[in-house]
Amino acid sequence: MVSRRSLETATALLTGGFGAAVVVSSFGNGIGWSAAGVDAGTFPFIVGLIILSGSVYNLVQGWLEAGDILLRSSELKRLAILFIPAAVYVGVIPLIGMYLASAGYVFGALAWHKRGSFVFSAVAAIGSAFALYLIFERTFQISLPRGLLGDFAGF
Amino acid sequence: MENLEALLHGFTIALSGNHIFLMLIGVLLGILVGVLPGLGAPNGVSLLLPLTFGMQPVSAIILLSCMYWGALFGGSVTSILFNIPGEPSSVATTFDGYPMARDGRPTTALATAFGSAAFGALAGVVLITLSASWVAKVALAFGPPEYFAVYFLAFASFVGMGGSPPIKTLVSLAIGFALAAVGIDTVSGSVRLTMGIDELVKGVSFVVAVMGLFGIGELLIAVEDEFNVKAISSKVEWREVFRTLFGLPRYGWVLLRSAAIGCWMGITPGGPTAASFMSYGIAKRFSSRRANFGKGEPEGIIAPETADHAAGTSALLPMLSLGIPGSATAAVMMGGLMIWGLNPGPMLFIEQKDFVWGLIASMYLGNVVAVILVLLTVPIFAALMRVPFFVIAPLIVIICTVGAYSVSNSYLDVVLMMGFGVLGYLFKKLHYPLAPLVLATVIGDKAEDAFRQSMLMSRGSLGIFFSNTLVTTLVFLGVALLVLPVIWQALGKMMARSPIRP
Repeated sequence: MVSRRSLETATALLTGGFGAAVVVSSFGNGIGWSAAGVDAGTFPFIVGLIILSGSVYNLVQGWLEAGDILLRSSELKRLAILFIPAAVYVGVIPLIGMYLASAGYVFGALAWHKRGSFVFSAVAAIGSAFALYLIFERTFQISLPRGLLGDFAGF
Repeated sequence: MENLEALLHGFTIALSGNHIFLMLIGVLLGILVGVLPGLGAPNGVSLLLPLTFGMQPVSAIILLSCMYWGALFGGSVTSILFNIPGEPSSVATTFDGYPMARDGRPTTALATAFGSAAFGALAGVVLITLSASWVAKVALAFGPPEYFAVYFLAFASFVGMGGSPPIKTLVSLAIGFALAAVGIDTVSGSVRLTMGIDELVKGVSFVVAVMGLFGIGELLIAVEDEFNVKAISSKVEWREVFRTLFGLPRYGWVLLRSAAIGCWMGITPGGPTAASFMSYGIAKRFSSRRANFGKGEPEGIIAPETADHAAGTSALLPMLSLGIPGSATAAVMMGGLMIWGLNPGPMLFIEQKDFVWGLIASMYLGNVVAVILVLLTVPIFAALMRVPFFVIAPLIVIICTVGAYSVSNSYLDVVLMMGFGVLGYLFKKLHYPLAPLVLATVIGDKAEDAFRQSMLMSRGSLGIFFSNTLVTTLVFLGVALLVLPVIWQALGKMMARSPIRP
């Protein structure tokens, strides 16, 4: 269970952290006015300050709001079921390449939900990898990453 | 007259076999992304963008803009038949569209929606035809201070009229600006905000941001609710379609008012979503059949649909003539223009006549194509909604991943996209608006350049923004819009009105 308060806080901390990073990083580019005009760091510095102060406002505002429940545990579970495999999918691309990862992802998703048989899932998996190859590699000549495994196999 | 001639010339460009084919493909793909819950117009267009790099700019923009029209129509289909808005801008259509369809009149609901949508789009295109070159002519006299003032006005109107909490809008905007600044600074040549990651020298692509924010973010929002797709008959009865379309002029006043609201919200970047809500709210307040709203009242479908499409279409007016997109999707298209080597803004009307008028002519044709195609394909796309979400979701993740990679063959973009996905989810959940972020990412460095050039002209004095009537008026308008939410809030507290709901 996640309350609105904690989600607001987390988001405000996230944006505030980004704002702070922008402010700090802009110091390196110089702030203010020099012979060449407005220094490169000025604009990011101002923007970073806006993010930072806005986040502080949102943080306080979020705390003051009623702590109603924004995410019930059943919703959290469904989120996790979608997000974790997606993150794993993206995570393994450098290792096994986009084709194998995509096929595995489709196979896993179909087989997990028990609707399709294993044969059906396997066919769909190979089909989607093949479709990617046809659309990107063949039609639009965009080479998708093969990953370490692909380099190793010489594919 | 000059415009009419140019428009006719535009038709000779748009009416080639190749372009009609692109229109069909664009509209069909658009309806597809409009119908699918996790995909919408902004990321549909950005997914297609890397694939257009080898095309003629005019062909590419016809493909992308038709996808936009298709997505606007597709979003209404699911709103009406399933009570699931396929696009944020068609949320208001569910209020009366779904009840009407549920009560056994799906064809009437769909035809009312498409008919008024077509009217709204037509209003937008006519506005563009009549005024775009005039606006461009005025804008030719703009110098950097005027440009910065116009940018300021655009951003301020987001904060003032976007309808989201103003400070959250401000944070969203500023994050977009910061993202636009990442990479090499075009003025000084120094490297900014890379946070120690060398690859970020190339900057953060708005395409990657859009795919994460709208694609993955939208998907995470959608997965929370268990979809209970209750199938309403999706058979289209043609006799009823024509009867409904011919009956629409009875609602002439609602149509005109909604189109006006839509056009206004499209030009000042309020966007289609805000336009449709505002139009619905006003229709409800002033209708003599107020009690029927929420129960399948035709006016409740006409108002949001007309405004939605009028806003979507007229969002291209400031994009073409000023280089300021009026909606998130228009921002993505404008990013495309810059990638194809065009310079959005008044010079387009002088240097790229074929492109501009070909696009405008294609908007007339594309919307006709969209109405016909969407009516023909309603049963097919309605069937698509019955494919379980767990099958569609991984496919959308894969499409977004491959799409993000294909922008510049970089794995870092894929990781960034996932990060943007989480951010998009949090933002949607907590009512931070996403469109300002996208807009600022696309035109952030142009706004910054305009500011820095103005400062060079005035040797560091802010007085240049008050140096003539035009620039002063623009700045004051912007400030007024920034203060507007405060006034609204005060008024709202005094009157304590209930929010717009059926």
